Amino acid sequence: MSDVTLRDVRKSFGVVEIIKGVDLDIKSGEFVVFVGPSGCGKSTLLRMIAGLETITAGELDIGGNRMNEVDPSQRGIAMVFQSYALYPHMTVRENMGFALRFAGLPKAEIRKQVDEAARILELEPLMDRKPKALSGGQRQRVAIGRAIVRHPKVFLFDEPLSNLDAELRVHMRIEIAKLHRDLGATIIYVTHDQVEAMTLADKIVVLRSGIVEQVGAPLELYDNPANLFVAGFIGSPKMNFLKGVVEGGGAGRADIRLPDFGGAVVPVALKGEAPAAGAPVTLGIRPSQFTESGDAALPVTVDMMEHLGAETLIYARSSASDLVTIASQSRPDIRLGDTLTARFPSSGALLFGADGKRIY
Amino acid sequence: MTSYGLKQRLSSVAVYIFLGVMAFLSIFPFLWMIIGATNTTSDIIKGKMSFGEALVVNATTFFTQVDAPLIFWNSAKITIIATVLTLLISSLAGYGFEIFASRFREKLYTLMLLTLMIPFAALMIPLFMLMKQFGLINTHLAVVLPTVASAFIIFYFRQSTKAFPHELRDAARVDGLKEWQIFFLIYMPVMRSTYAAAFIIVFMTAWNSYLWPLIVLQSNDMKTITLVISSLGSAYYPDYGAVMIGTVLATIPTLFVFFAMQRQFVEGMLGSVK
Repeated sequence: MSDVTLRDVRKSFGVVEIIKGVDLDIKSGEFVVFVGPSGCGKSTLLRMIAGLETITAGELDIGGNRMNEVDPSQRGIAMVFQSYALYPHMTVRENMGFALRFAGLPKAEIRKQVDEAARILELEPLMDRKPKALSGGQRQRVAIGRAIVRHPKVFLFDEPLSNLDAELRVHMRIEIAKLHRDLGATIIYVTHDQVEAMTLADKIVVLRSGIVEQVGAPLELYDNPANLFVAGFIGSPKMNFLKGVVEGGGAGRADIRLPDFGGAVVPVALKGEAPAAGAPVTLGIRPSQFTESGDAALPVTVDMMEHLGAETLIYARSSASDLVTIASQSRPDIRLGDTLTARFPSSGALLFGADGKRIY
Repeated sequence: MTSYGLKQRLSSVAVYIFLGVMAFLSIFPFLWMIIGATNTTSDIIKGKMSFGEALVVNATTFFTQVDAPLIFWNSAKITIIATVLTLLISSLAGYGFEIFASRFREKLYTLMLLTLMIPFAALMIPLFMLMKQFGLINTHLAVVLPTVASAFIIFYFRQSTKAFPHELRDAARVDGLKEWQIFFLIYMPVMRSTYAAAFIIVFMTAWNSYLWPLIVLQSNDMKTITLVISSLGSAYYPDYGAVMIGTVLATIPTLFVFFAMQRQFVEGMLGSVK
């Protein structure tokens, strides 16, 4: 059992509240990713689970036991840090076996477990080297190895790949995904990189200013964001937000007029009732949803283009200078300053109220 | 040669001349000390700058007048104890000031730094009275005690601790280490360059210490090499030849320590953590 449960967990530094009541259930074996902008409290929350920060209020359970006051080493967790945090005066073998040595395990047992972790992570040729003689990727593998040998209930990763170059990051991401599959351990992973979040997570927790904005599977958050913040944070390029006004509608449909786009009207499908006519709303459209066969049309002028090979990003503006990003899978024959009609299927558009919450 | 090349060359020559002069100024006292050890007192006073033939005479005078093993032992004992205690206590304080936050931390730290502005002359009498009250006059403990909490070394350690990766402390806590174990097993080895630099500074200060030992050490069998050197000679005039021999011998330990830890000293002064 390595479930992790947080109940109304709070953290204050003096009068400033950083974590403002987090409730979360993480099931045994789940890979959970905390994402959010800098300063949202994701690393603080992870450190609270690790026991490196005290919990001001609320309850933290790991494996069914209350852990609020328990020493970090007794929580059944292992942590991998952003800067690797390898002891520079110890060899790879000593680094990996240090916690076990401290737990009083016999030398033979330590050796066995360290060798096993080294085999899994292909670290055997590096065991007698000091951290300064290793590359960034190797150091990160040692840091993961140091966590593995402890056989923790929960692995905690604090932005483990952010110090690596892009290529190595992709490689290590795959390694971590494999590791999760092989070990079947519960992993809580902090990142600000949404690609890492989308590719690794069973469940993503989006945080903002110490509050959980939404919890869900990666595609669930992508397809059904609960509010403007999540819609804007998940997905790259970012979702387009167009200011609109409810023109009319009824049960299951709302007609949204977009004054900045020549008064274009987009019929948006809803599960419930349409908001009252005249209510200000925001229409959300992902850049990848623009297609030539779409029923809704926006007149725009091309401002900037980025050719990425597999796709082309077109940054265009409305007559009122609202920016729209269009991702095209083809290589359209257009130039800067061209005027075009950007089409998208109205069924794919999301509607958000003036309070930023999704209107279903 | 282009005018640019000529300029470069002239500037190199100027730099070398400047460095040469500075190197000579640094080495000259040592050279004078070594030459002086081979000359008679009158030759030294005359400013003779060539090797003489009085080395054996000077050495004989020195070893006749001084119980060298005892005096060197006194100096070594005081220096080693003072160095070890100063490094331990001051580094603990510097680490504590940097790592542990408290409402009073900065106020206390500022207060401590202000003590650097008090001249030793103003502290001599109160310190002497304190030592007298504790019954420590004419003991080596009286020499050691006032040095062990050095405001400068605490300051130096606090500044160096800013470069100590806090994640190492977190990793150690997750690995099950207590605070004191983190200090001794992680912090101290990681900060070895800082310790090496501080070791040299404290060792040289303690070894060369003169005024305070002169005040508290009163009997000859308790004195250190620096005190003994200054009193060499007859009642009416100093024997500079013997003084020079003593000075050469007294310099050897500090030279040895410096050269042994030179690399770490430079790293420590630059504040590197590897």
